[in-house]
Amino acid sequence: MGTDREVYYFATKKMCVGYGEKPLIKDVEIALEKGKIVSLIGPNGAGKSTVLKSIAGQLKLLGGAVYLGKTDMADMKGNTLAKKMSVVFTQKVRAELKTCRDVVATGRYPYTGWFGVLSKEDGRIVDEVMELAHITDIGGQDFQKISDGQKQRVMLARALCQEPEIIVLDEPTSYLDIRYKLEFLSILDEMRKKKGLTVIMSLHELELAKLISDKILCLKGEYIERYGTPEEIFEADFIRKLYGIEDGIFAEDERFQAYIRQVGSYGEGNYGSGDDVRRW
Amino acid sequence: MNRDRKYRYLTAFCLLGTGLIFVFLLNICIGTVRIALPDIVQIMTGQESAEETVTRILWDIRFPRAAAVLILGGALALAGYLLQTFFRNPIAGPFVLGISSGAKMAVALVMIFLMKRMVRVTSADMIAAAFAGALLSMGFVLLLSRRVGSMSILVVSGVMIGYICSAVTDLVVTFADDADIVNLHNWSKGSFSGMTWENVKVMAAVVTVTVFLVFLLSKPLGAYQLGDAYAANAGVNLKWLRAGIVIFSSMLSACIVAFAGPVSFVGIAAPHLVKKLLGTVEPIFMIPACFLGGSVFCLFCDLLARTILAPTELSISTVTAIFGAPVVLWIMGRKHADKQD
Repeated sequence: MGTDREVYYFATKKMCVGYGEKPLIKDVEIALEKGKIVSLIGPNGAGKSTVLKSIAGQLKLLGGAVYLGKTDMADMKGNTLAKKMSVVFTQKVRAELKTCRDVVATGRYPYTGWFGVLSKEDGRIVDEVMELAHITDIGGQDFQKISDGQKQRVMLARALCQEPEIIVLDEPTSYLDIRYKLEFLSILDEMRKKKGLTVIMSLHELELAKLISDKILCLKGEYIERYGTPEEIFEADFIRKLYGIEDGIFAEDERFQAYIRQVGSYGEGNYGSGDDVRRW
Repeated sequence: MNRDRKYRYLTAFCLLGTGLIFVFLLNICIGTVRIALPDIVQIMTGQESAEETVTRILWDIRFPRAAAVLILGGALALAGYLLQTFFRNPIAGPFVLGISSGAKMAVALVMIFLMKRMVRVTSADMIAAAFAGALLSMGFVLLLSRRVGSMSILVVSGVMIGYICSAVTDLVVTFADDADIVNLHNWSKGSFSGMTWENVKVMAAVVTVTVFLVFLLSKPLGAYQLGDAYAANAGVNLKWLRAGIVIFSSMLSACIVAFAGPVSFVGIAAPHLVKKLLGTVEPIFMIPACFLGGSVFCLFCDLLARTILAPTELSISTVTAIFGAPVVLWIMGRKHADKQD
């Protein structure tokens, strides 16, 4: 399996995750090239956040390993890892008496000196990233007083400010309206094209997962249900099964049935083929 | 950092600095014997024109006392700030969480034990005992905080631990010899009286080192304020940082208890007022500002404690509670209001 690591930038090997002693999900195997996007999908409570926390090194692995390049992440020191991987979790940063710009600037932490004073260069990067995330105009506002959607963009800017090679996001688009959902994902798309950013995220919106992901990981139960390209995942009745939408449910309502068919299939719905869609 | 902030920090530090000098001088001048400023200057510069008694009062009583209040007040505010950061709770503090009372109990036990054996109790013994007691209480609070998620329950538990420790202390004091009781009684209620230069030297050494170490932690502390997940992602070693905060805050609390007994509310009120003054929570500014703020607050309260009912002295906690407790109520009221927004 050693050759895999040379091809793939990010890989998990037999990763077992969970809280305490008992593994919640076993033998997670993800392999991802640099600059690719993987989305985790699955029903509520399937353990998407647990997998993401484990990947980010915030939850002790109950078995297996996570590799970045050729290095086992467990062997990386905090600061080294911080310069490679950043996170956007559902939990927001606590930011008492901080402006949005202050919050973004906290992403520069691993690069500052002993007392954490920002250099001119740090400031330039902060401004650049804020421009990219379209939050320059709210930079001076109190972080606690802006909307959830704005907060989410600030959190993304914070993570990008860390200049990571790989970014881990837990349901990053949940609080955003349709425009900002698309905008948020387009920023990630741009970053991976320009800088080769690798993205691992969980998404609730299947349509979005379908159109932006290179790989999709389906979580349900003790083992990974399926891992593959959107074409492979969104086929026939798989989504129905994954989310436990049995035949009986909504059977009488044709509107719901149509919706499920559309979401659960690849290339059928309103989106056209995957390649067209990626150009938006 | 933008301009406005720079000016704000500068103004805040100037205010705190001049405030400190001002109350320090007041503390030295005012008392049962009033000493005018020119006399103090004369005595300080070694001109022997002043009366011998005045010189003695100044050198042996007022100066060491004011110096002690300055050091301990600062230490107390900083201990409070560290605990508030640690528990992410604006009303955490050494007194509220029962840490002062734990230290007090340990010191009382050790004092009585040593006095019975006619061993002289040194400042270092007292600090060591207080530190052990503080860590013990802190341990209990930490255990509880793991089990209960709610911050208000944590505070209630802290208060309960405080009551238990105080009860044990009272019990021990009741069974102590008559001569010891007088000493212990004053101290266990909290008072800055009777400070000697020897005391001041020891506390200055301990507090200076601890404050310096805390200041070195200002960067990880700043990251810790964002929340565990983001601090970890920034590369902070949470285990070591937490251990550091526990040890340093216990050490600072221990120092105060060893020399002045438990002093209430300064640890909550001073950091909060300073935060409002600075308009930031950045540790790199808050750590020195808290120290100054605590010093000013305590010097002011000690001045009142000595003078309001002179020659009788009030216990320092009586005065700090009068000015500190309303601040706590204010914080709680605001917190509640924020939630409703």
